[in-house]
Amino acid sequence: MTGDTHYDLEILAELAEGLLDAGTARQVREHLAVCDPCGELLADLAAVREVLAATPTPAMPMGVALRIDKALAAEAGSARGGGVGLAEPPNWDELMRDSPWEQSPRELEPVRLGVVSDDGTIVPAKRKDARRRRWAMPTVAAAAAAAVVGTAVLSTNLLTAGGGGTIASGHQQLHTGTASSPPKVDKRARAYALTDSGHNYSDQELRQPLEGFLGPAPIVGGGSSDIDVVDKCVSRVANRTKLKVFAVDQGQYNGSEAIIVTSWKNKANKTLRVDIVDPFNCKSLRKSTVGRW
Amino acid sequence: MNSPPEPPSSAERPAVTDAELLTAHINGDPHAFSEIVKRHRDRMWAVALRTLGDPDEAADAVQDAFVSAYRKAGTFRGEAAVTTWLHRIVVNACLDRMRRKSVRPVADDELIEAAERDTPMPDQTGEREVSMEVSAALKLLPTDQRAALVLVDMMGYSVEDAAQVLEVPSGTVKSRCARGRAKLAPILSHLRNRSDLSRVSSAKGAELRDG
Repeated sequence: MTGDTHYDLEILAELAEGLLDAGTARQVREHLAVCDPCGELLADLAAVREVLAATPTPAMPMGVALRIDKALAAEAGSARGGGVGLAEPPNWDELMRDSPWEQSPRELEPVRLGVVSDDGTIVPAKRKDARRRRWAMPTVAAAAAAAVVGTAVLSTNLLTAGGGGTIASGHQQLHTGTASSPPKVDKRARAYALTDSGHNYSDQELRQPLEGFLGPAPIVGGGSSDIDVVDKCVSRVANRTKLKVFAVDQGQYNGSEAIIVTSWKNKANKTLRVDIVDPFNCKSLRKSTVGRW
Repeated sequence: MNSPPEPPSSAERPAVTDAELLTAHINGDPHAFSEIVKRHRDRMWAVALRTLGDPDEAADAVQDAFVSAYRKAGTFRGEAAVTTWLHRIVVNACLDRMRRKSVRPVADDELIEAAERDTPMPDQTGEREVSMEVSAALKLLPTDQRAALVLVDMMGYSVEDAAQVLEVPSGTVKSRCARGRAKLAPILSHLRNRSDLSRVSSAKGAELRDG
């Protein structure tokens, strides 16, 4: 078959894989010898194999490996009737609390309409995705919430100590306490999530979706002296990029201490600008790249 | 199983084989199974991530697979290599997940449309483009073709090994690969052309290219 009739990709792919019978294979080869467009298609097919083979295969992210260890430790525990499993597992629930996968999508309710309660009134459905949202919650909100709890405990103690105090005065103290805390909180407020994974990043890993790296590490709270250093570098990066910093991780880059700063480039596309700076002078350790979440 | 070169960390492997570790695990050695996991988790992760195209899904699938392997180690009869057996459990966990999400087969014109829509931003490096477009394109293939291409073309396993993992005849693996490549060719050919261009990276090269 030569001339104006061509073969489709599927026939050509089968030829390349040796799946055609001898007669058909000979016909196709004769056609290929004289038909440039079909030769191009065959080259496209060869390119598919090359492109697939050249795509890097990433190592398992630390967070996933830890999570599997945990699942297997639980399995060992249940199989042997108790704590005989792997030696002294750390408190994984606490460590993994903020991991994106700790929130099963099956728990989310797709529609949040009110529900009719037993007495016939309509009760607004509760948001079930509070934990997922927590990941994106600005630190100032978390800090403010912590301040409220702290003050409440303090008030209760005062109340108990005073003995004769009224509930109203307790509330009064609570409000006063809360009102006075925001200025302090604001100084520490961060608009980005800060983690401290200590992970040693490579260029290859940074080309992978970054959620697997930056997502799993526990969020660092306020108060550490490192945080001021990180903050300083983050604001320098932000001044340079004019982008909104999204997540920051303290780790290593090719073995040297580094701060990994990711800023949204295009939130809809989940594309991020990735800047890697040293924590001492905030100088870039490599050219910034575009990463994915 | 013919596998790609081992990572350096398992250079000491000959000391204890996978099969010996599995036997030790069945006999109650509490550390044997975690050694098996350590040896193979990167490869299992790569297979799951490429097959499912989503890190969260891949993490779930690999975890399910390792837990399931832990439980049913006793049923391993040694008729295949431990790695083949593990791969089979991981691939099946991935295929189960995809089936449960009932991924609709996609028509060819939709494939091309999706590839154009997902075209990454122009300031990305060639290698990143490859990775992103490959993930997006693979997601559009039927599950059986995707699993075959991940094992054979991406992970570099022989058709025979992939056939053992997938528990189908070699000819079936070949034809799934052929059909998968035929579907990917229109998408990845534009990538091929562009990566040819991006190889001309010097200013002088760009001058030559653009006239």
